[in-house]
Amino acid sequence: MPDWLAYVNERLDRLSLPETESLQVREELAAHLEDMYLSLRAQGLSESDAVRLACDQVSSWQEVRRAILAAKSEAFMQNRVKQLWVPGLVTLFGAAALMAVLQILGFRPFVIHLGQPSSIFLDVPWLLSLPLFGALGAYLSVRARAAGLAVHCASLFPVLVTAAAFLVIILASLILDRHVSLRIMTTAFAASVLNGVLLPGFFLLLGDWLLHFAMKRRAASN
Amino acid sequence: MIRTELKRGTAEIAILSVLENQPLHGYEISRRIEQDSAGALRFTLAALYPLLYRMENRGWVRGDWVTSDSGRRRRCYKLLPRGRKMLAPLRAEWADLFRAMRRVARVNHA
Repeated sequence: MPDWLAYVNERLDRLSLPETESLQVREELAAHLEDMYLSLRAQGLSESDAVRLACDQVSSWQEVRRAILAAKSEAFMQNRVKQLWVPGLVTLFGAAALMAVLQILGFRPFVIHLGQPSSIFLDVPWLLSLPLFGALGAYLSVRARAAGLAVHCASLFPVLVTAAAFLVIILASLILDRHVSLRIMTTAFAASVLNGVLLPGFFLLLGDWLLHFAMKRRAASN
Repeated sequence: MIRTELKRGTAEIAILSVLENQPLHGYEISRRIEQDSAGALRFTLAALYPLLYRMENRGWVRGDWVTSDSGRRRRCYKLLPRGRKMLAPLRAEWADLFRAMRRVARVNHA
């Protein structure tokens, strides 16, 4: 009997999927060809005829590769939306909406002046609410069967967006605002990153960590 | 209203129907469809697996690896509740199609 796995491996060697998934797909296709070959042999066909008919199952391996990747990438995109974008956007809009509500209610951030132009803004009630949103983002992501980095990214989504915006602003400022002293610019941006990314990021991550801690404890008690 | 994706629906309803009673692996699915349709419907490997993976993504079926007594590993597909729910509307669409074709082209229901 031919080595069907080797046969498939030769033809689907560049299947760009995670290694385990790629191996499973190749093993499954090889199993199909093997079953067909055995069935044809059991019907009395000669070895060469059985091999030929099994091989005729696929006229173009390139087409098979394309169709499998299309089917698998559909899942990847669906999962990416459910595991990252939806939880991330819920976290972002939830945190932003609460900040707006707190400002409407008259809560003002506690400002620590470190000298011009940098200051630290401590919006204490908002910061204290962030673990809740971090945990919510992580929970929605975990519920969509995400794991690892995707969960942390969903939890940290608001600060990732802010960090990306800061990066664009920094690059634009370096190009456009050449007359401003580099020291002033660096200090201002360091303070902005602290206020907009590091502090909220810490509290969001705290929520993420608390959720994981609670889930581990619950799993252990079960 | 008969949807335009009817062609793909042919394959979907065939796969869901053969999985309705028992889990089957890929080759058994294609064999069963061929047998039940008296050879009229044939699924090649190239057509079957992309479709199975799509149906798995949608939560209609789930493939689990099982090892037979002979030591062969096969991925057996099982119909999930969501897939079972899809069967009724798919069958209704096919019934609509047959009715429409009978009226338009005097095609007889098998």
